[in-house]
Amino acid sequence: MTDIWVVLIKIVLALVWFFVLTLYLTWAERKESAVIQDRVGANRARILGMTVIGLFQPIADAIKMFFKEDFVPAFSRKALHTIAPFVSFFFVAITISAVPFGDDIRIGGKAISLQVFDANVGLLFVLAMLSLAIYGILISGWASNNRFALLGGMRGAAQLISYEVALGLSLVGLIMVFPSLRMSELVRAQGALLFGFLPKWGVFLQPLGFLVFFFAALAETKRVPFDMPEGESEIIGFFTEYGGLKWGLFMFTDFMEILIISTLLTSLYFGGWQVPWLGANGFSFPWGGAWHLAPWLVTVFQVAAFNVKVFFFCWLQILIRWTYPRFRYDQVMDLGWKLLVPLSLLNIVGTAVLLSL
Amino acid sequence: MLKAIGYFWELLKGGWITTRHFMTNMFHHTLRLFHIKTKRPGAVTYQYPEVKKPLAARHRSLHRLMTREDGKPRCVACMLCATVCPSECIVIEAAEDADPEIQKVPKSFTIDLNRCCFCGFCVEACPEDAIRMDTGVIDLARRSHDDLIFGLDKLLK
Amino acid sequence: MIKLFIDGAAVEVPEGTTVFKAAEQAGIALPHFCFHPAFAPEGTCRLCLVQIEGSPKLELSCSTVIREGMKVVTQSPAVGEARRGVLEFLLAEHPLDCPICDKAGECKLQDYSRDYGLTESAFREFKEKRDKKVAIGEKLLLDRERCIQCTRCVRFLAEVTKTHELGVFERGVRTEIGILDGVPVQNGYSGNLVDLCPVGAITDTDFRFKTRPWFLSRAESVCPHCGRGCNIYVDYHPGLPRVPGSAKVFRIRPRTNEAVNGPWICDVGRYGYVRAQNAGRSDRPFWNKDGAKTELGWDTAMAILGDKLRALVDAGRADRVAVAATSWLTNEELFLVKKIFRDDFGSGRIVLCDPRPGEGDDFLRRPDRTPNARGARELGFDPAPPALEALARGTEVLILFGPHIAEHFRPAELRAALDGIAVKVLVTPHLTGLEGLMDGVLASATPAEKDGSFTNFEGRVQPFAAAARPCPDVRSELEILAALAGSLGLRPDYYGRLTTAAAVRRELAKEIPFFGARA
Repeated sequence: MTDIWVVLIKIVLALVWFFVLTLYLTWAERKESAVIQDRVGANRARILGMTVIGLFQPIADAIKMFFKEDFVPAFSRKALHTIAPFVSFFFVAITISAVPFGDDIRIGGKAISLQVFDANVGLLFVLAMLSLAIYGILISGWASNNRFALLGGMRGAAQLISYEVALGLSLVGLIMVFPSLRMSELVRAQGALLFGFLPKWGVFLQPLGFLVFFFAALAETKRVPFDMPEGESEIIGFFTEYGGLKWGLFMFTDFMEILIISTLLTSLYFGGWQVPWLGANGFSFPWGGAWHLAPWLVTVFQVAAFNVKVFFFCWLQILIRWTYPRFRYDQVMDLGWKLLVPLSLLNIVGTAVLLSL
Repeated sequence: MLKAIGYFWELLKGGWITTRHFMTNMFHHTLRLFHIKTKRPGAVTYQYPEVKKPLAARHRSLHRLMTREDGKPRCVACMLCATVCPSECIVIEAAEDADPEIQKVPKSFTIDLNRCCFCGFCVEACPEDAIRMDTGVIDLARRSHDDLIFGLDKLLK
Repeated sequence: MIKLFIDGAAVEVPEGTTVFKAAEQAGIALPHFCFHPAFAPEGTCRLCLVQIEGSPKLELSCSTVIREGMKVVTQSPAVGEARRGVLEFLLAEHPLDCPICDKAGECKLQDYSRDYGLTESAFREFKEKRDKKVAIGEKLLLDRERCIQCTRCVRFLAEVTKTHELGVFERGVRTEIGILDGVPVQNGYSGNLVDLCPVGAITDTDFRFKTRPWFLSRAESVCPHCGRGCNIYVDYHPGLPRVPGSAKVFRIRPRTNEAVNGPWICDVGRYGYVRAQNAGRSDRPFWNKDGAKTELGWDTAMAILGDKLRALVDAGRADRVAVAATSWLTNEELFLVKKIFRDDFGSGRIVLCDPRPGEGDDFLRRPDRTPNARGARELGFDPAPPALEALARGTEVLILFGPHIAEHFRPAELRAALDGIAVKVLVTPHLTGLEGLMDGVLASATPAEKDGSFTNFEGRVQPFAAAARPCPDVRSELEILAALAGSLGLRPDYYGRLTTAAAVRRELAKEIPFFGARA
């Protein structure tokens, strides 16, 4: 019985973490783009005369979207049109269950993992869910009764499926190095040291794999410079016929994807909750020093490290989105099939050769 | 392949530019958030309705009609502004003035700002320096067309 | 014929010609203020100076008579210098109030200052203060600061009207134009002084400050206020977008035609016409139904009139139509009236109803008050005032052109006679009170607004074209008649062609020898 309560609490906490961060990711996107472009950014939403550097903006956005017309185009497939954003949303939201936020903690002699669902195929589960999110795009494009939306949906599906290949292949090398598909195992394995001082993070063992995974993951988020499916400013995208809250759900899903990609990058290549040289009893530095810490403090360090790393990758993705211009569609396909896929294959072969030595 | 690496290098350079902007601006923003004066603000933009950008000395804003010492309009209704106006937005009706030294005064002087293109030709054409565009008023949006038809009463203010 | 050389080109002119006119003949325009072709040369302005070989000083071209083999130079540094000097002296005393001057834009002093003048004056002293607003006539204001003492006005009143109201007073710098003993200029031709004045010294209270000359478009027309048929320009504002009522006639000016009016027109034509264009107009058709005025569109109004006439035609009583035309109509319109109602309807009740003759004078003004009395006579209309009894008896439809019938009969008399007529329609450009007696009123165009021709009292057929249309909803009588013929289905192969004034004029010339000889 307590197990169920524990799982429920974990689910609630994970979702709260996920949604709140996503909500404020929209704020972060606006502010970061503003700072990059020498502007101030959203700072007008105020409650009781306070603006708090624009932190109320997501609330104002939400209220605005609530009061917008829930529009369904004529002759569209109404049920599918309504379901599509929820499909996208659901399959992205569920992936958070596989992410480990920290090492196991002990409460009352009982080990509790800071992870909602530690499946032995966790990594495959994440990939599978992200692949299913394509359905949301396809359905929305198809159900809109708008040929441009349909084309946008088709572009989106083609792009996502192409990059799924590179994404999956780049992870094969990682699985070869850390022979497990269990997310918690993967993270825990990165706690060891290389040559006695270097943390055994995925990025050091699989630099090429990391690069391929990073680019493929960027393409998966469908944002500039890979925003073929949407192309807000020029080409019409798959959610053209959406407005109000449904459109908001699509945007929310977009930002959730950023967060998910960041947590995956963190967990798979940057040690997840691992802090360099921090063991269960505290720090033990390679040059001989040691700093003993209470277990709860260790957990705090781990969760904080995980969050800092996630924030960094969110920041990096926003920076990329506001720096680079959009690719042409053939360039997108070239990059995916002619560069990333061969590189990931090369990575697998290279890893295999190195491992067999 | 070599080309792709070249592209990658350029990508990094581009990323460095935006990162540099982010870092310097963030530095100033953060210091200012804690009320520490810095050499320059983090943003170059103006917070418009509260802070107005200083207009250039030659900026052409809302028109005004100049007055003589006794408060009467300087305008003598010569209609040169109406003549030169490319938008045909100035309509003047002249009237006889009792003073033989003035003789001609505007009975009505109407600028239809819906049509005005703020070219400033009227100012240059005026032989009496009676019309100027130096009020600095640039927020001219109104809720109806009629509110944008300015007569003598509004222009003399 | 005497041969001389102007700017190197040989010119042959008759003996006694002045150098000025010879140059004009050679296509060289010489600057001048005081010279006017209608007067003897005066030589006060000194602007038309030219160089003549053998002459030690520059000579006045306007008063120097040519000699055989004379060599004249109109453009040289010395001539330019002299003209600049003259202009500088004139401008030393001329106020720079062009912005408020009605002449600005058509002022000779402005033009020549631009062509020859200096942009800076050596004159540093104050300009003399003079009276700026002296009433010298009912509609004339004199500005003595602007006056350049060319004496054109004085000479006009001495030589043309011979009334001598204006004179030159004082001497030297105090020289001024003035009226004698406060007797104003009042001779029926005073408006010409405004046109004569080369600067803005004499202005016209009728036109003063109303608009600026460069806004005005100019249409050539013929004055309809008497049988003389003076040639005029109608200066009208074509109208501004979104300013209702801005399209209107501002002034009438004479158009030189030596055979008819020379360069002059009378005050009646000049001032009466502007009023006639803009005031008291009937601006759209209406029908008096059960005592209430109902404004109609043209299509409805014409349909009503057409139905009434068709009913008569179908009942075989087409001759029960009476038409009172007026010689305010053009030749073409009178011709159509005659064709439709006399020839096709067979009506014997077609009369001419003109205003009563007034007074004429021995210069331009004629006693008749209509422009086309001669044309009407040539078309077979009887100029005698109609007998009301004959017009009204047995009439079922009466069509009146112009409101002049009211001048001939007392209102009660008129009402009694018209009461018996079933349908009474008035076609008029102006509302004068007669419309109360009518069933319908069709708003028609004034002569300045339509194409056509008038025949003046000497039998001169003068075509003219339409100027501005201040009332957009009026139609010319020609359009009304052509539409009526069309809707009644009268001889479509004949009337179908006669929809423009030019087409009717061709037909007129073909059918009536008087007009054929003058086409």
